[in-house]
Amino acid sequence: MEQFKSSDDLLDFAIKNEEKAADLYEELAGKAKNAATKKFWEDLKEEEIKHKNKLVELKAGKTLDAISGKIMDLKIADYLPEQEVTDTADYQQALIFAMQMEKAEFKLYKDLAKQTDDAELKETLKILAQEEAKHKLQLEIEYDEYVLQEG
Amino acid sequence: MSGGAKKERVPRHKIPEQAAKERVKNFTEVNLGYTEETAIAEAERCIQCKNAKCVTGCPVEIDIPGFIKLIAEKKFDEAAKKIKEDNGLPAVCGRVCPQEDQCEGLCILGIKHEPVAIGNLERFVADYERENKLVEKPEVPAQTGKKVAVVGAGPAGLTCAGDLAKMGHKVTVFEALHVEGGVLVYGIPEFRLPKSILKEEVDFVKSLGVEIHTNFLVGKTETIQEMLEGEYDAVFIANGAGLPMFMNIPGENLNGVYSSNEYLTRSNLMKAYAFPEYDTPIMKGKNVAVVGGGNTAMDSVRTAKRLGAERAMIIYRRSREEMPARVEEIHHAEEEGIEFHLLTNPLEYIGDENGWVKKVRSIKMELGEPDSSGRRRPVPIEGSEFEMDVDVVVVAIGTQSNPLIQQTTPDLPVNKWGYIEADEDTGKTNMKGVWAGGDIVTGGATVILAMGAGKRAARSIHEYLMNGK
Repeated sequence: MEQFKSSDDLLDFAIKNEEKAADLYEELAGKAKNAATKKFWEDLKEEEIKHKNKLVELKAGKTLDAISGKIMDLKIADYLPEQEVTDTADYQQALIFAMQMEKAEFKLYKDLAKQTDDAELKETLKILAQEEAKHKLQLEIEYDEYVLQEG
Repeated sequence: MSGGAKKERVPRHKIPEQAAKERVKNFTEVNLGYTEETAIAEAERCIQCKNAKCVTGCPVEIDIPGFIKLIAEKKFDEAAKKIKEDNGLPAVCGRVCPQEDQCEGLCILGIKHEPVAIGNLERFVADYERENKLVEKPEVPAQTGKKVAVVGAGPAGLTCAGDLAKMGHKVTVFEALHVEGGVLVYGIPEFRLPKSILKEEVDFVKSLGVEIHTNFLVGKTETIQEMLEGEYDAVFIANGAGLPMFMNIPGENLNGVYSSNEYLTRSNLMKAYAFPEYDTPIMKGKNVAVVGGGNTAMDSVRTAKRLGAERAMIIYRRSREEMPARVEEIHHAEEEGIEFHLLTNPLEYIGDENGWVKKVRSIKMELGEPDSSGRRRPVPIEGSEFEMDVDVVVVAIGTQSNPLIQQTTPDLPVNKWGYIEADEDTGKTNMKGVWAGGDIVTGGATVILAMGAGKRAARSIHEYLMNGK
């Protein structure tokens, strides 16, 4: 588990984390053979860049607004086997992979928040975890509506 | 309208049905249809609204009060012709349309009483015309010399083809399967839509001069581009959404786990239901679980019951109120002894040492708080996992588009789900000379919505062929 001495350390870590995710999605988009999946990876990359920019602003002194209300967890990703992606991944596989990525990010920030006694750091980490939970929920709703159509 | 108040007091006439105990032993139709007397009595319930809301609920805009009035006047043949002005498949629609959500859902009588049984009346006149051999070969107009290829002989394709033929164009339909009808023939069981009825409605479309080539896989046998470069002036793509969805959970590759497409195709199209006349292989399980809550799930589970299952079960992750299947189909399933495991979701299928499915491991669900769309979504209850014995599983969670045409037509715009992007009002795509409609544009929807898309596309194609627009 990472240990951070200051908020800036933590934010540097989080920024790198978002950059890594954006790079991964860029790589996947480059390889994707299915046009729709390619677009999905590109959209996710943009989303991660937005997250990163938010963190950069935060580091520069801007405050991060907490997301009001409880974010629903449909737990769809929790009960699906780990999804690997290939260059022929379809949209359903891509969605599962992305839900599981977001869940891992959520868990990372949540665990980091537990590790620190610094109240300010804790709050920032909780907000970051909420951001990831919110994004995971968006993906789960998409999955809930379009994959589990219920024929 | 005169006498309206008095008419409202007459209750809706129920359609006679085969008794549940009997019908689970056969594949003949569940609903038996109105008699002439009942049809007239039901037609007389209609108060003939001037601004009939029911018509706005019909995607093909049938003159509903018009045909019902003709029934009340005992002019059944004329009523059938009135419907056919707008709908080439009335015996099909009278049986499988979700009227409660469409025309009947808007019937003014439904506010205080029960709506007029529009679907039952549509079915009655279509059957009357067919059974009394009153179907007339329509006059074929002067030919325009224009040729249109229609991909898929399902509801959208047949409707578009019929309408274009009536406008004087030469239409050829290309169907991948060996029989016409698309989802109507492979997806809907005999006990809901007898094949012989569908065949006669397809024959009616053919009588308009439409040619149908079966066993022709567009995208393989010939591409869309080749069709346009060859003899066709326009192409309408209506190949449906026939690729099954799976949940991506462990065990889906075990023997005995079917998609509803395969299961129903084996029973319906390949006629496993007609054993021993047809000896089509299909697993006749003792304990059959069908996953899903829509009409396809109901069709699958009721098929399993008729094929001899001792326990035919629905596993559905929401509650009964959220089931997308028609109320009538759920009711029929309940009468037939189908078990409903609601708020339950499969996690895994467990196989025996030979790779045959023997158990399904599921989890109990609860409905969460309404989200921003107001919908309560199901959430698993941790620790509530349990197992049930099964020897056949049918996955009926939905379908998606078959990518063959899109892959071989690079200029065709598709969305992230692989459905073709087409104008909602006209079916026109961004590719010159190409239209698309039905499930390949919307994803799995209803027969009548697909027919509506076929109708609108036909109008737009006609405009393009005649005026270049």
